Amino acid sequence: MDKPAISGNTITVPSDLNYLVDVDNFVEGFLREWGLDDSVVADIAISVSELVNNAVEHGSATKTSPDDDRAVKVTVGKVANSVKISVTDQGSGFDPTEIDDPLAEENLLKAAGRGIFIVRNLMDEVDIKTTPEGTVVTITKNL
Amino acid sequence: MKLSDREQDGVVILEPKGKIMGGPDASLLHEKLHECIELDKKQVVIDLSKVDWMNSTGLGILISSYTTLRNNGGMLKLANVTEKIQSLLTITKLVTVFEAYDSVDDAIASFK
Repeated sequence: MDKPAISGNTITVPSDLNYLVDVDNFVEGFLREWGLDDSVVADIAISVSELVNNAVEHGSATKTSPDDDRAVKVTVGKVANSVKISVTDQGSGFDPTEIDDPLAEENLLKAAGRGIFIVRNLMDEVDIKTTPEGTVVTITKNL
Repeated sequence: MKLSDREQDGVVILEPKGKIMGGPDASLLHEKLHECIELDKKQVVIDLSKVDWMNSTGLGILISSYTTLRNNGGMLKLANVTEKIQSLLTITKLVTVFEAYDSVDDAIASFK
């Protein structure tokens, strides 16, 4: 794919950070429509951007050729008193237990490695599933 | 994200605007900072008042800016940190790394 595709509450974008803004606009559109306050919108938007960054990084890292046409899919949903968003990539996944503790003194000045830590702090639930086809991370924010 | 810059009392003030989330626009800050170092302008304040939010990529840019300046004999300070960014700095313990001031003027004065 060479451009974002929207179908209902799902946006699929090429595995490329140039499309982060498209995902953000799409997700924030739903969050605003649901009347969520600015702080909650920001928490969810930050978390989605972290997950898309990770998805692109892991998806692109496992490309088999320059023509490998990988994509990232983001689905937004609201159920009763919570917002649920899933981010699906086509990469080989990652083990969250292998991520260095970003709060450790020796890691404090590292420029990277805080994404999932931040998501876990901002969201009420984070579920990571790795399948042969890719990784699905689902976040839940209770309202 | 958009980025503007100005200079006051020998201090460079960088004013990012919007969201700092990664992708191509995030490198703007880093490039501007290297430009400052090349011009021997190593006292820098980042005014965060117009930043809606940032993610870990944004924090990473602040950290690499901080270490790059420090390693070149300079210093990076923050001004007008919003509630949302302050919260991120707190949960990541980066609040212990950065000097932050309530206004750009206070940040500039701290260099004297």
